[in-house]
Amino acid sequence: MDGSTLPAVAEELLREIKKAFQETSQDTFSSRLKFIFGPSAVPALDLVDQRSVTRLKSPSGRTLYQVLGSSGKLYTCYSSCHFCTCPAFGFSVLQKSESLLCKHILAVYLSQAMGACQELAVSEEQLTNILLAEEEDEG
Amino acid sequence: LCRGGLAERLCRLQNRERSAISFWRHQCLSDDKIPSDKSGVLIVKILEIFDECTIQVAICQQLEHSPLSPEDVVINAEEPILKVLFTRETAAHLKSRPQDVIHIYPPWQKLLLQNADVPVIMNTYFSQKVLLSEHSEAREKTYGLPKMLIRKNIISLAQTFRLDDLDDKLHQESSNNQVPCAPQTHDSSDSKRHPLALSAVNDSLLEMVESQGAVGWREVQVRVVIQRVYCLPAREGSRSHTQGNKPLLSNGGMFCRLCLLVQDAYGIFSEVQLQSLSSTDDVEQYCRRWEGKSCCLAGMKILQRTTRGRALGLFSLIDSLWPPVVPVKVPGQSQDSEMMTTNLPPPSFCYILTVQSGEIHVEVDEEEQISNLYQPPAVHGLKEILRMDGCNERCSFWAQVLYRRLQTKHSVPIDQREMLLFVTDSTLQNVVHGIPKVVAVSVTASCVLSMEIMEALSAGSRLVFFKDALWGNGRIICVERTVLLLQKPLLCSAAGADLSELPGPVRLDELDSAAQASSICALRGTVVGVNESTAFSWPTCNRCGNGKLEVCPQDRELLYCNQCSEVVTTPLLKMQLEVFLSCPSRPQSTVKVKVWHEVTLFVLLTMLLFLQTYEVQSVLGKEVGLLNCYVHSVTSHPNCVALEEIVLL
Repeated sequence: MDGSTLPAVAEELLREIKKAFQETSQDTFSSRLKFIFGPSAVPALDLVDQRSVTRLKSPSGRTLYQVLGSSGKLYTCYSSCHFCTCPAFGFSVLQKSESLLCKHILAVYLSQAMGACQELAVSEEQLTNILLAEEEDEG
Repeated sequence: LCRGGLAERLCRLQNRERSAISFWRHQCLSDDKIPSDKSGVLIVKILEIFDECTIQVAICQQLEHSPLSPEDVVINAEEPILKVLFTRETAAHLKSRPQDVIHIYPPWQKLLLQNADVPVIMNTYFSQKVLLSEHSEAREKTYGLPKMLIRKNIISLAQTFRLDDLDDKLHQESSNNQVPCAPQTHDSSDSKRHPLALSAVNDSLLEMVESQGAVGWREVQVRVVIQRVYCLPAREGSRSHTQGNKPLLSNGGMFCRLCLLVQDAYGIFSEVQLQSLSSTDDVEQYCRRWEGKSCCLAGMKILQRTTRGRALGLFSLIDSLWPPVVPVKVPGQSQDSEMMTTNLPPPSFCYILTVQSGEIHVEVDEEEQISNLYQPPAVHGLKEILRMDGCNERCSFWAQVLYRRLQTKHSVPIDQREMLLFVTDSTLQNVVHGIPKVVAVSVTASCVLSMEIMEALSAGSRLVFFKDALWGNGRIICVERTVLLLQKPLLCSAAGADLSELPGPVRLDELDSAAQASSICALRGTVVGVNESTAFSWPTCNRCGNGKLEVCPQDRELLYCNQCSEVVTTPLLKMQLEVFLSCPSRPQSTVKVKVWHEVTLFVLLTMLLFLQTYEVQSVLGKEVGLLNCYVHSVTSHPNCVALEEIVLL
């Protein structure tokens, strides 16, 4: 069979979580999360618990996510593709292709699904500085 | 972890599951038998396996009951297909291969996907491979099956998740990724088709500039008058240009952008940079069609706010348009109130605008009349211009181009070449003395010339209109924003008589004590010496005039021209000779002239070169009459003038 399977499964899972967030029994979703996302699941949920995800939006409509990591460092996640500035993303996703997402990107999705995302409006210049600042740090 | 949070709950759940899984596996190892309780057990046969991240995906067929022997395993196409997911640990434990039969014990989970028919089975921690016979088990253990290579699917980062039902379920790239298309100006002929969803027309450039960035600024329209149309060379590395890499100009591939100098009802100027031109010949057309007309600008982007000190060229042009010919509005006052312009100071700043890519809104009302605010270039005779005071004044004139000299320094790249044009008009030709008969106009590389002009200048003497050339320090130069035109502009305020007719054959100043380098003059004199060492002749192609002919490799008697790519059967012989003259108009100097054409001296040269029968002595004293020459250099110590005979266009 052609095409990938895992992303569709992950997506459906997150959709169900979003739809049924009001339900009390969340253990089903939790264990499925754990199955698909493995070690990222608990840390991602923790980030959601702590309301660490903020969605930045500029007047032109561009969006960006910032996640406050456990170490206190701010990571930037893109909205148009799966990308995060954290080292785990670079290692597990890019290098080893062991994960679909890092815990920060998963936290972004979970926050979206559960309505736990903080919203922040920024100027074009601020958005640009955030994007470019990341490059400078790594460069 | 947060108390009572989702993470904590998952953690506890995970711990419970982990112990259950390890307990179960432990039980399986010690007990080979299939558990009697079959309820909820999923029996699958693996057809295909691949890895995605750390999950193993197995395409399986669901079996009704467990096969007891290999013969029982009949592949029934009717049986449902499933996608079973295993974690890395489970997969390592199972070591599955295609054709294996797996029992999956509850609590497994089934997930139905939106667009797929195949259900997905997950949470398959409690899975066990069924061995079909003792023989196969033994075989496995004894010989060790070769390690199976499992394909790994790499997942694209672009495949993001859409959590909303209303969104398109297909994973498309967002519309923000579209590349903006190349800008295209459209004039009023196109505007009828173009739907303008723009706001009411404004008449203030400053208001448009101030509204940038605010909501709806793209829709703001400003009505302005086009004072000038010209081309600016686009700098290398500028992001704003290129339609492919076609060279646009004869000066070796310099790109240029069409620009407008516009003025609003308040007298404020702005330079609008439009698209790259595909052909510089269009400039003449745009000048004729657009100058003086009103136009509406919308969707402009501010490139720069420049000031007098930083853009001398631009402001010299603006100054030539100041003060405005009609009263302009005063900001802050009501619509009808206007102000006299005589005492207004010239502007000290100018906004340079450019178009948003993909959104050009420059609508010129070509059919409408020329605006009152338009100031056409003031045309003067060259005599008047040479007498002008001041520095960096823009001036416009008609002139006959007599001679063209290209800068031949090899160190200068071709797109930075300068050119000297020697021009005259009736005002200069009519003068007796005191004012030169011919003026040198320097054309810098920043002045964009069309192919038409370049061809005209090399073909013959042409009457050229120099629009907005710069006068200063006793020189006329053509720089950025100067336009050379062959056609008469429609509207032109000419001071005095028709300047285009020359009174008779062109006369040059005679060589005198005031002669300067890089000028042209006429001279007459007597031969006082010949520089034999510099005399030589060479063959040229009779078709194209190429002076660098080569010897034919096939036949060393013949010459070959590689510009025509043909053999030259009848080469034209060109000769050059340097003579020293005594000129009555400049008696103290040694005058050295490189002669190409003078007939009597040709004879001399021929004799010298081929026959060698002539004594140089016999040509001394020969008269040389009125040669047109270009002055190479003038030195005072020793008093020497070096010239070169030229042919006027």
